[in-house]
Amino acid sequence: MQKGLNHTRITRRQLLRGMGVGVGLLAIGGLAQACGSEGSTPTSSVKTSSSPSQVVTPSASPATAASPTGAVPVGTQPVGYSGPNATLSMWFDTTGGAQGAKCVVDAAITPFNSMQSKVKVDPTFRANAWDATRTALAGGGGPDLVGTPGPSFAVALATANQLAPLDEYIARYGWKERYLSWALPLGLVNGKIYSLPNEMETLVLYYNKTLFQQHGWKPPRTMDDLMKLAAQIDAAGIIPFAHGNADWRPANEWFVGEFLNHVAGPDAVYQALMGQKRWDSPEFIHAIDLLVQMQKNGWFMGSLARYYTTNTNTRLAAFGDGKAAMDIEGTWVIANLKNYFGKAAHNNNEWDWVPMPSSSGKEIFDLAIGSTMSINANSKNLDAAAYFLDYFFSPEVDARVVVHCGVEPAPIKISASQLKGMDPRQIQIFEHLVQASNEGSYGYTTWTFWPPAAENWLIEKIEDVWAGKMTVKEYLEGHQKVFDQERKEGKVPPIPKR
Amino acid sequence: MRSQLQERTLGAEHIVGLGGSSWKRRKLVLPWLFVLPALGLNLVVTIGPAVGAIYYSFTDWSGVGKATFVGLDNYRQMLQSSSGFWSALAHNLLYMCFFLTVPMAMALLASSLLAPIRRGAMLYRMGLFLPYVLPSVVTAFIWQSLMDPDLGLGSLIARWTGFRGLAQPFLGQPHTALPAIAFVDNWHWWGFLMVLFLTAMQGIPTDLYETAKIEGASRWQEFWYVTLPGIRPTVAIMILMTSIWSFLVFDYIWILTQGGPAGASEVLATLVYKAAFQNFQAGYAAAIGLTMSLLAGVVIAIFVVLRWRGWEI
Repeated sequence: MQKGLNHTRITRRQLLRGMGVGVGLLAIGGLAQACGSEGSTPTSSVKTSSSPSQVVTPSASPATAASPTGAVPVGTQPVGYSGPNATLSMWFDTTGGAQGAKCVVDAAITPFNSMQSKVKVDPTFRANAWDATRTALAGGGGPDLVGTPGPSFAVALATANQLAPLDEYIARYGWKERYLSWALPLGLVNGKIYSLPNEMETLVLYYNKTLFQQHGWKPPRTMDDLMKLAAQIDAAGIIPFAHGNADWRPANEWFVGEFLNHVAGPDAVYQALMGQKRWDSPEFIHAIDLLVQMQKNGWFMGSLARYYTTNTNTRLAAFGDGKAAMDIEGTWVIANLKNYFGKAAHNNNEWDWVPMPSSSGKEIFDLAIGSTMSINANSKNLDAAAYFLDYFFSPEVDARVVVHCGVEPAPIKISASQLKGMDPRQIQIFEHLVQASNEGSYGYTTWTFWPPAAENWLIEKIEDVWAGKMTVKEYLEGHQKVFDQERKEGKVPPIPKR
Repeated sequence: MRSQLQERTLGAEHIVGLGGSSWKRRKLVLPWLFVLPALGLNLVVTIGPAVGAIYYSFTDWSGVGKATFVGLDNYRQMLQSSSGFWSALAHNLLYMCFFLTVPMAMALLASSLLAPIRRGAMLYRMGLFLPYVLPSVVTAFIWQSLMDPDLGLGSLIARWTGFRGLAQPFLGQPHTALPAIAFVDNWHWWGFLMVLFLTAMQGIPTDLYETAKIEGASRWQEFWYVTLPGIRPTVAIMILMTSIWSFLVFDYIWILTQGGPAGASEVLATLVYKAAFQNFQAGYAAAIGLTMSLLAGVVIAIFVVLRWRGWEI
């Protein structure tokens, strides 16, 4: 969704801390246990994975380091390419600024072009790259390497025969072993895989740690705790949540998705996505009712009107300065938070995080994929494109891009030592994500697992509910209608089995 | 045997005779040959997609892959009360009413005040025209910041004077979002109208004003009986263009509110965009787009009929 565009400077303390928690980060591999289609074996201890190819050792604190209990996945070396020389086109989106795209080119594309001479990747920067890509593909053109904003978009392109199947390359390059087992099936269309997921994300509750300490507030674990705490914060004259959608209207879906998963529960969401439960069931109505109550209380930036007119910079500044206490948002924001806390922002505040509270109090992390990569079905260089994708999604390259450009990692098995320089809190989030996933405690984000029109219904019509033009029941009934139609048309993306 | 002169004359007559019809043919064909490249480009870029849009409006098409013919289903869906079409159309009509009155009145007033000014006239014209040359994205972002309830112009005025009326989240309230967008669009647009009207006013013969002065006409009477009739064709064409453009408005709305909050600033163009690029319903989007063209066609037809009836517009 949102991408951090900052180069991270590594201090000595960060390096040592990163090495200390580094081994724990191998927990990312444990996602395969909970999310794989073969089902998962819940681990009795959070410290081990039953898979011999993964190491799962989340550490309890930054100071301790747990020992690996299995083989560390060795950074995959790209299998050699023996085809003809080729030049591959790749479009990078520069909406909102080209800095991030240029960083990815510097960190990944330029070294690729330098390290061998057979395949060259020619990057092109353009605003609204996705709109341009769709239009070009419809005309039989488009780049060799096709990026989309998420699995549902890739499914639409694959259904229209505009993407090349990747199964042959998955087998050739061993991608099945590299990816977390729930990830690759997201690109399945009619039994074949057409896209590789990128930018693994989740949402958590960030809070202003300094503000909490000053007021003696404790981070919430359950939804009841969250509602009571928000009321306390509001009573203290502080904005409970630094939320606004002026520059990103789809932010609405962060909250809708979180409340559906964390109040009604991910099992209920799964059943609804599979067509086994209705979206206007009482638990979903209750979930959205809570969200509506929060807006009506003015807990999002002070009022509904302020929510609509507050942009990211303003709300994060309020969060950093202590004018707002909490922020429900994705891991994409972490790279930006350092600009609003501490010296850079001329305050002495610190941030921290807890899992987004749930009704049960259980840790639930909603799975998200921010983008996908595919090969254009009309590309004349399919093998060369696959060779590049093998390089691009290798653990070393992905880790380099993550650390240097602040983007989120692909759902592949990366060793912790490769993520030196990453904010240790971000590493902790992924550790917890893996742990919760091992226990089957994951949810479904709307932009990854919903079909497009149903997703847009959730984003647009929640504003009608907040404005009192529509009841929650009507909102969810309308959503059910749109969802049913898209389900009939085969537009629902693949859903990982629970 | 004909003389050379006769031959030449006969030849010339023959040439003239042939050139008479061949010249006429050339006279007919030649302009078309010059126009053909531009026409061809227009056909490819405009007519082709327009015809394609007509076809796709009768299909269920996601924008990629095959289109399935569904007849009038898209139009039926559009006309349902839950589709948002009617409220979007209402917003377009409100936009039209605003732009047919406020900027027109401002432009007419400013141009009639500026017309007699000689000293510094260019400076005034440039200053008032300047907003028009700014890209809409730049204008929208400037005003989005100026309208910020805490950091914008309104809050500055509130700090200086205590008057908080302007420190409101205009873009975040359903009842003020569309008027706020219209305000921003007007700030950008009215200077252009003013320059057009000023240019037209300068084409009015000055002796008409002298005659009016001699007859004892007041300033208002001069404006009403001399200026307005003199610039009537320009005003008429701008009324026509404004009416058509009101159905096409998109950029300011998309940048400032994307049709929100709660659909309060949704217009037909934003509906088309969302249907095509967010919901993957390109066929439905084509149906709305075609309807927008028909509405613009109705406006044009009204003008044509009025002209046919003798109205001088």
